[in-house]
Amino acid sequence: MSERFEQGVAALRRLMDARIVSYFSSCVHCGLCAEACLFYTETGDPKYTPIYKLEPMRKMWRQENTFWGKLGVKLGLTEPLAEQDLADWETLVYDSCTLCGRCSMVCPVGNDIAYMIRKEREGMVAAGYAPDGMKEATRRALEIGSPMGVTLKTLRATLKGVERNTGLAIPVDAQGAEYMTLFSSMEVVNFPEYIESIARIFAAAGVSWTISSEAFEATNSGIQIGDSKAAGELVGRVVSAAEKLGVQYVISPECGHAFTAIRWEGANLIGRPLPFKVIHILELLEQLREEGRLKLEGHTDIRLTFHDPCQIVRRGGVVEQPRQLLREVATEFVEMRDHGVMNWCCGGGGGVSANERAEPLRLQAFQRKKKQLDELGVETMVTACANCRIILEEGIEHYGMDVQVTGLTELLAEHLAGPAES
Amino acid sequence: MFLDFVEGPLWYAAAAVFLVGVAWRLAAIARAGLKEDLSVPRTAGAPGAVATVFRRFLPHREFMRPAAFQMVAGYAFHIGLFVLVLFAAPHVEFIEQRILGFGWTPAPHWVFLLAANFAFAGLLLLWLRRMLDPVLRRISTLDDHIGTGLTFVVMFTGCMALFESHDFLRALHMLFVDLLLIYFPFSRLMHAFTFILSRGFTGATMARKGVSA
Amino acid sequence: MGKKSPEAAGRRRRMMYRALALMLAAVLLLPLVPYAVAYVGGITNPNPGADLWRQVRQRETPPEVRTQVRGVDTGVLINARGESWRQFRMEQLIPWSGWFLGGMLVAIALFYLLRGRIRIDKGRSGILVQRFTVNQRLAHWFMAVVFTILGLTGLVLLYGRFVLIPLLGPEGFSVTAAACKEIHNLFGPIFPLAVLLILFYFVRGNGFRGVDFKWLAKGGGLLGGHASAGHFNMGQKLWFWGTLLFGLSLVVSGLILDFPVFGQGRPVMEWAHFSHGIAAVLFIGGAFAHSYIGTLGMEGALEAMTHGTVDANWAKEHHDLWYAQMEAEGKVGAVPGQEAPASSGSPETAGG
Repeated sequence: MSERFEQGVAALRRLMDARIVSYFSSCVHCGLCAEACLFYTETGDPKYTPIYKLEPMRKMWRQENTFWGKLGVKLGLTEPLAEQDLADWETLVYDSCTLCGRCSMVCPVGNDIAYMIRKEREGMVAAGYAPDGMKEATRRALEIGSPMGVTLKTLRATLKGVERNTGLAIPVDAQGAEYMTLFSSMEVVNFPEYIESIARIFAAAGVSWTISSEAFEATNSGIQIGDSKAAGELVGRVVSAAEKLGVQYVISPECGHAFTAIRWEGANLIGRPLPFKVIHILELLEQLREEGRLKLEGHTDIRLTFHDPCQIVRRGGVVEQPRQLLREVATEFVEMRDHGVMNWCCGGGGGVSANERAEPLRLQAFQRKKKQLDELGVETMVTACANCRIILEEGIEHYGMDVQVTGLTELLAEHLAGPAES
Repeated sequence: MFLDFVEGPLWYAAAAVFLVGVAWRLAAIARAGLKEDLSVPRTAGAPGAVATVFRRFLPHREFMRPAAFQMVAGYAFHIGLFVLVLFAAPHVEFIEQRILGFGWTPAPHWVFLLAANFAFAGLLLLWLRRMLDPVLRRISTLDDHIGTGLTFVVMFTGCMALFESHDFLRALHMLFVDLLLIYFPFSRLMHAFTFILSRGFTGATMARKGVSA
Repeated sequence: MGKKSPEAAGRRRRMMYRALALMLAAVLLLPLVPYAVAYVGGITNPNPGADLWRQVRQRETPPEVRTQVRGVDTGVLINARGESWRQFRMEQLIPWSGWFLGGMLVAIALFYLLRGRIRIDKGRSGILVQRFTVNQRLAHWFMAVVFTILGLTGLVLLYGRFVLIPLLGPEGFSVTAAACKEIHNLFGPIFPLAVLLILFYFVRGNGFRGVDFKWLAKGGGLLGGHASAGHFNMGQKLWFWGTLLFGLSLVVSGLILDFPVFGQGRPVMEWAHFSHGIAAVLFIGGAFAHSYIGTLGMEGALEAMTHGTVDANWAKEHHDLWYAQMEAEGKVGAVPGQEAPASSGSPETAGG
């Protein structure tokens, strides 16, 4: 037994909390979770059944928490969890699960399978079984500050462009601002339109905001790969930057898991309540609209739909805000058949997009989204997650579809009412 | 003799194993502990836990079709079984004389018959699907088959003894009841209790996030 | 008018004689009237003992029996038809059906000895074709289990007296029979569901076509030679429709027997019993042949019902028209979700 493997076993043992013990005790192997998982529905391969992806952890539970398991291992009748199991399951745990949590919504006994996989990844990564792409991303996040290797220099260059395009000064390290915004690397590199949009909206709505030069990265590779230590370190950077600037709110950007990382796991990762409130950009925008600070005018008459980013909607609780906002500016907003908390994932969440070897499978799983879009026959899809957006665009291109993808914040900025009077 | 044994010493032993075993399993879940969630909740967890315990009795509207088989066969079996266990005339009598000291009105024969038919049809369909569906074949373990098989045999012998004409048949039924009780805490049959905890945990977490799960 | 004519006096005397003779005859015949009426219209028998006996035996007419007991046939003290029903059961149904079922087994054994296991001539290709869906297999095995439970308990009720009493003794048979009766009556109402599932999941593809009669003419190729067939061959189609026919007969007669609370009297129950027994025995005999050819009798057949797939070579040899169709649709070899035969339980690299 290698030392790394023992670390993995120790991690799994440590994580076997009441929820997981209860979940394994309750599972009656009904197989319904398979029908909820796009990796199963689009391949028909039973190995993609969500609960089956938890075999290593189930073995651990069996040998540590059940009578037959303990007895069997002692008598040599039951194979205990072996290193080979982790090796065999690496692809199932990382390539064929986006932690989208759709399975958690349908389990008749109420098991939160996504939560279990999130915990299982902790054991996998501790034992050294994680995809290279994700390991690299985590390393870059810790060393450079961004999984995509975006440095402060890159950000400053982008911000310069934003300032030029908007004619607005972008506040950096502004002491005492109310809101501190975070961005995902993807936005800094691929979608600076997002930064321009919030700059315009905030200026119009009179929001006091700033960017921290010490912690501007919202994404958290530690959460995706399942490394709590790395995740805690990344959250810690945001916390200390926010404390230094004395902000009341930290804004999570249009990025799915970034929101989960700081909003729901943040405090638990650093072991104390966060000294600020976390708000998602869509929550803030809807709040501003309700307060009358965000004034919108005009609307688009293009038939469009909204792709729910799993971590923001189903796993994040921001369900109605994007719909309210979208209805303000779009007359022809239609819903996909499964939407809201029962939406289908784009296929690239949970670190799958950072995992090169998973690409063929991810594109196969994208057929689910394709079917949904074909059914509606829309030309435009709005979303609120940079990662979803990239994955959707890749899928659309791969299947030669004619659909435009845009960010909700951008769409709103386009309909900002006249020159702000602020 | 046989009847005295399975309704006497073996029955007491089985009931003890069942009660102690279930308590031990539930205690083990409590012992595993749960870290306090430090994130700021949108809504309270406890009401969400209760709500999800009930909400999960039916699939989400969007999931009705994929879950149709499990829902129909599952409810046919479970409701049938509950009616049989709690309202079959000999059971009410047994509960009154041997367990609680009081009884209630048993179900009329036609209700019993209907319940037994639903229970058998549901259990058979679920069990056969477990053996035929590639997904279920992949995830099923020996425990799933033993648990299902024991339940089936208990129901089967119960129906054999329905006429109450022979002590042997009653004893045979009781023997398998005892075995089922002994097996229960060591098996996935525990879901009969832990499903409340599982739904509760998930319901609480999701309610904190503002999602009704 | 003092003078009487001698002719008139003679006529009057003749009339008197005739009237007297008629009266005499009438007097003599009158007691016979009830007999005559009884003979023609059937009213009563003057013998009170015989009358009572006839009414009790219900041999003749519907009697005017009154009873305080309310219910069907409660006015019947002895059912005369019951004797003929009993005779049919003991002297015809049981021995003849016994010979029939035994004969089926012997015929199958002989067939096995002569023909042997029907192998896949070209061997296995390793290429799979999806033959039955999960739901079809589920319907099949649900029927199989319910049929087996009902069949076995039913046979115990029919032959138990002759076969089991020598083995188990009267005490043991009493317990077995009581248990079997309860199980048979309790599982009975599940059988209609099984028949419905079979109908629903197998009716497609079971219509008769021209090729089926050619298949029949060639004896299904069972004795050599090749007989073309689509998804189902004539044998399977006959078995499907037979299942529905026997199934329907068993369901209707079974429900009449199982729930004697809808006013059905003994004659109806007797007819239901005849039809139940005959249909069951024929169905069981057919099931012997069906089970044989689906398992021991033919290589590569059982897996169609267990895993849902068959080998391409098996399909070509037994259902060539269906195979050609599957090939044209590009469905050969594309079996989603099929476990590889040598699956070790460990997943291979995904998406690689």
